[in-house]
Amino acid sequence: MRINEIININDFYYEVFMSISKALTGFSIEELQSTGLSIEYYNYILNSMESGTFVEFLSVSKSILETSSNEDELKKNITDSLVTAKDMKVITSKIINVWYLGSWNGTYITQLSYTEGLIWKLMESHPPGAKQPGFKSWSVKPFNS
Amino acid sequence: MSKSEKKKKNDVIIVGTGISGSMVAKLLTDHVYEKNENRIIHRREVGSKSNIREISILMLEAGLKAGLELENTDALNTYSDYIKTYYESVAKVPNSPYPNLKQAPSPDVIHIRKITPPFPDKTGYLVQFGPMPFASDSIRIGGGTTLHWLGTTPRMLPNDFKLKNKYNRAVDWPIDYDELKPYYEMAEFEIGVSGNVHVQQYPEITDMDEYYGKDYVFPMKEIPQSYMDKKIMEKLSGENVKMGSENYPLIFVPSPQARNSTPNPKFKNTKLIKAQKTKKLPNYRLVLDEDKEKYAAIGATWNPYLGERCEGNASCVPICPVQAKYNALKTLKKALYKRNDNDSLTRIDNIEVQAQSVVYKLEVDTSDNERITKLYLRKYFSEDKSDFVEEVIDTSESIVVLAANAFENPKILLNSKYLKIENNKTVERTVANRSDQVGRNLMDHMVLLTWGLFPEPVYPFRGPGSTTNISTFRDGDFRGDYAPWISPLDNWGWGWPAFSPGTDIQEFIRNGQFGTELKESLKHRLTRQFLIHFEIEQLPHPENRVTISEEYLDVMGIPRPIVHFQLTDYEKKGMEQAKLVSDQMMKQMGAKDYTDYREGDNNTFVYNNVRYSYNGAGHVVGTHRMGDDPNKSVTNNYCKAWDHPNLYIVGAGNMPTLGTSNPTLTLTALAIRSVESILSDIEQNIKYNK
Repeated sequence: MRINEIININDFYYEVFMSISKALTGFSIEELQSTGLSIEYYNYILNSMESGTFVEFLSVSKSILETSSNEDELKKNITDSLVTAKDMKVITSKIINVWYLGSWNGTYITQLSYTEGLIWKLMESHPPGAKQPGFKSWSVKPFNS
Repeated sequence: MSKSEKKKKNDVIIVGTGISGSMVAKLLTDHVYEKNENRIIHRREVGSKSNIREISILMLEAGLKAGLELENTDALNTYSDYIKTYYESVAKVPNSPYPNLKQAPSPDVIHIRKITPPFPDKTGYLVQFGPMPFASDSIRIGGGTTLHWLGTTPRMLPNDFKLKNKYNRAVDWPIDYDELKPYYEMAEFEIGVSGNVHVQQYPEITDMDEYYGKDYVFPMKEIPQSYMDKKIMEKLSGENVKMGSENYPLIFVPSPQARNSTPNPKFKNTKLIKAQKTKKLPNYRLVLDEDKEKYAAIGATWNPYLGERCEGNASCVPICPVQAKYNALKTLKKALYKRNDNDSLTRIDNIEVQAQSVVYKLEVDTSDNERITKLYLRKYFSEDKSDFVEEVIDTSESIVVLAANAFENPKILLNSKYLKIENNKTVERTVANRSDQVGRNLMDHMVLLTWGLFPEPVYPFRGPGSTTNISTFRDGDFRGDYAPWISPLDNWGWGWPAFSPGTDIQEFIRNGQFGTELKESLKHRLTRQFLIHFEIEQLPHPENRVTISEEYLDVMGIPRPIVHFQLTDYEKKGMEQAKLVSDQMMKQMGAKDYTDYREGDNNTFVYNNVRYSYNGAGHVVGTHRMGDDPNKSVTNNYCKAWDHPNLYIVGAGNMPTLGTSNPTLTLTALAIRSVESILSDIEQNIKYNK
């Protein structure tokens, strides 16, 4: 699989992070970037994990992305080497979680990460207390549904 | 610790700036004393200014000074801090946006634990002896718990006021529905209720015209019902469910709510609540009168053009970001600011609000008709430091109004002991407690939650917390046997019972899902979630109570409330019946029931071999009940303490029983009505002291 090149960022492993995040969350790179927080998340995890774990995660991810030649292979490799792998499954679930909810080990990474969680858009809603859709919006089907 | 004695005398001292304290203050400052006529009149009726004497008021608030900012950037800054804290809290519980002060701690749902009798749980502010933990919270802050209330405002039903007479349960109120009705109208105006009177439908009431009054309308039009409500109603409206041997039709009612919508042109102008002198005791009567301008919704304290209509933030509990939902700061602002001759708002100087002041004791003069002559408070300087000063306020010429909530009011009273000579013996008495009812009859609604997946997407997590309720089981002959309930439909998915959506994400990840599969599973589940409440009426019991002890003090040395609490079969059977009704509704909707009650839940019990768990409703009620008999109640029906000529105790604590209504509207109506008696006492004090 292709490791997506991210414009203006000169860090190969950031590109790995984004590409594997895409495969793990089901959201496109553009959707992930629309949070405006992808670099913050990457740096936060890089600085907050025990040294080695995140680097190990990235190098496993790199090898998964490089060796998988189609979606089925990618899925199988992610399952084997990340989702069910003993030393990788915790960080994998945390990385999925951070994109969906914005939180890492029970706290939000930045002030914006609660409102930028991708879960809200997915469920055709909005983060409670922010991005309010307007009077009466709740009494009809969501606009995009 | 230093001491200071305040010299300035006030006509009225109000403890607490929540809805009851602010409402009393607002109505009092709307009135002035007319010296020529020796009576109190509404500000609007003042002829010559030289003939009036203002009513002086001191309000005391335990919360931070910042929480009392009511203007422009200061108010906005405080409120923005609340919102920021809310965003940053992972557990977005009702108290999460607000400071939990060590000097004025609040009960918080995150502190509730299972209790292992005889050992109390002391995790939070309340010392909980149980055996069942009290499951609700409240907050000590400028504006009080209305900052985080949902804002549902049904009135109580006529039969709720006469449970003893009608169903041979608990006690009757000292007033009935008809007596309280005009004050409900005043409360609905002051709070700003949105709703449609004509579609309200309740059991045991055949003539709804009589219940609300034929031409009555709420100030604002109905808050639209949610898409989910409509989908559920499509399946269930008009369907019958069986309870016992009888069939009951499911009645779905759009809920009246304290959140801004579109002003109803039929409500016409805004109103004045005006005191009129009468022959009948207590010699003043409040009436609703037309004001000059058209009714307009009241927006945010810092910007009247914000929050004039609900914007669908879907975070009413714990905080409405635009203040489209009513909170008592709006009423407090009306107490402090009045229109001047140029028709602009100015801060009046006869009312002062003193923050960071924790009232903890009253003193009585037994030689002067048992008047409350002193009030003790501890004033702290900052959130972080624990030093404070002791302040004693002379109340001998004042009327004291305790409006501190149903935990704090009894706490202050029970901490106020005095010695009295009776039959040549010195006996110890507790303020306002001749009846031994202070602190007793603590109540809450037991909220049984049932949740499931609807057969098609209903798109929850949108709109106000609840826009529709099922009124079928609010009243009926079964109340002789078990508890009635109201059933709000909840718009926020499984957020409350199961912490969705976070837990759904974790569950699917745990099952090995990721990528598109995970996304599809989440979308499928989260768009179909629905939640129904069954808010069960709890009856008053003397052993469900708040007490205090020297053993349990807060950081300022003030007693913490000790709570003893349990359920009886009346409530348990009510929950059993509610669950049976829920089971039938789930089936009729074709829904998949995900309701799950566990032994590990904080509030759980087994009844007839079936487990039930419930949550608190935040309805902290009943610790200083009103009544007709001084030996059986704490206050008369004007919220005036039987035992003292200058003490009023207002708030949800006044309610002798709970009914199936959210209590705020009713406690507000009671507080408004108490003003008639307070005005009469003020008039007497001014005449006597001048």
